[in-house]
Amino acid sequence: MCSHWVVLAFCCLGQLCADQSLKPRIAAPHLATNNPTLTTVALEKPFCMFDSSLYPNKSYVIYLYAMKESASAISSLVTDNSSKPLDSTFQQTSGGQLGPYKAALFKVPSCASPPKLADVGDINKVSAVLKQYLFRVGDDGTCLYDPNFLAVCNPPLAPDTTYRFKYVLLDSTEGIMKDQTLWSDPIKTRRVKLPLKIDTWPGRRSGDMIVITSILSVLVFLLLAGFLASVSSAVMGSDSSAETRCMSQTIQQSEPRPQLSSE
Amino acid sequence: MAKIDDGIHILQGLLVFGNVVIGMCGIALTAECIFFVSDPHGLYPLLEATENDDIYAAAWIGIFVGFALFALSILGIVGVIKSNRTLLLVYIILMLITYAFEMASCITAATQRDFLTPNLFLKQMLERYQKSETVNNNDKWMTEGVTKTWDKLMLQNQCCGVRGPSDWQEYMSAFRITHSDADFPWPRNCCVMDAQGSPVNLDGCKLGVPGYYNSNGCYDTISGPMNTHAWGVAWFGFAILCWTFCVLLGTMFYWSRIEY
Repeated sequence: MCSHWVVLAFCCLGQLCADQSLKPRIAAPHLATNNPTLTTVALEKPFCMFDSSLYPNKSYVIYLYAMKESASAISSLVTDNSSKPLDSTFQQTSGGQLGPYKAALFKVPSCASPPKLADVGDINKVSAVLKQYLFRVGDDGTCLYDPNFLAVCNPPLAPDTTYRFKYVLLDSTEGIMKDQTLWSDPIKTRRVKLPLKIDTWPGRRSGDMIVITSILSVLVFLLLAGFLASVSSAVMGSDSSAETRCMSQTIQQSEPRPQLSSE
Repeated sequence: MAKIDDGIHILQGLLVFGNVVIGMCGIALTAECIFFVSDPHGLYPLLEATENDDIYAAAWIGIFVGFALFALSILGIVGVIKSNRTLLLVYIILMLITYAFEMASCITAATQRDFLTPNLFLKQMLERYQKSETVNNNDKWMTEGVTKTWDKLMLQNQCCGVRGPSDWQEYMSAFRITHSDADFPWPRNCCVMDAQGSPVNLDGCKLGVPGYYNSNGCYDTISGPMNTHAWGVAWFGFAILCWTFCVLLGTMFYWSRIEY
């Protein structure tokens, strides 16, 4: 009897431990450097998260639910009373404001052969690796406005808003939820600053400009001073030479006169 | 008497030499300024749109000043050899006017260079690149110039934005109004292109996977040529003016000592 309780206790603990660590994660930052952007978030697909709930001969599918963090106060249920997952859309929940909406559905990623991230460098393999490894929430900008669109719509998210995501494992024949992860940690999309706020003031003057301006101003001043000095010395020089010529002329004129008078 | 004659001859020789150097520097200045005005890197539309294109005005002044220096140096050589007072007076006055113009050109180039900061180009890029609603012809002309220049810059130099592609994510822009963030986190030209001119992998570019987008900024490729331009005009002009100052002072002294 005691052993039964112990086993049960361990089982419960085991379940709790497993669930504590299973949350959708944001894609590896060294791979997807532009994440999250203004309106998109790239999440890692749920590798090896549901393996304990998978049975060999059944077909499963994974649903991704997204909601704004503020909606957790209103409703964060992704299933109805009979364990069937909700079919809510982006429009029905006002973009995740009133509750979670279904953003994607894809098949269970293989745990045995996960994608090799090193293959991203190869041009031929990169598309396949990215598709296998991550999912971009908010990728489809046109499905909201296309009346013929019938698949799951994944419209762009709102900027500067915190979102939470959850993966749900579904048995496709029965249509019943078999397992789910916890809600992810809050992930916030970017916010933008206005370009008007960019300060284009250049700051203090550079040294070059101060040197050039000051030295050239001094040189111009010296040049003008030199020009005035040479012009004035030339004018005064011509004045004094004119005087000496006058004086020598008068001396020459005054000298012969005494000779004439003596005769 | 012989000593004074020798002194005058030495002064004449120095002045002729000084004028020869001025003439050659004048031609070099003209050639350098023509090179800058021809805008080999195609960056003029960016300056025109910031309305801060005075380094080009400085280069234009430099073209004409260089030619004037060459012509005046020939006049100076003739005046010094003939010891003609009138010629030398004309030479001095015209040289002073040319000196003033070249001084304006140097100071303009050095001052305007200070305005060309990364923030200036960032703001202009965000406000004008692929702007769809232009108010008048002038706006349209500037917008087209900025868009074409940035497209060419990003493609040829494998760069994106002023400081990096994050400029497009951090700030609101005219580009963002017409291009949704989901499809265009940054312009297509920021993606690594193949030989046909289309992105190698569009998803990789949008997600920012290293190797599929250009992660460095274009500021270095803009500021490099502009610095060369501004400093080439400012400092070479400054050097010519320092030399011309000495020659002019010598000429004024020589002129004041010539007898009519």
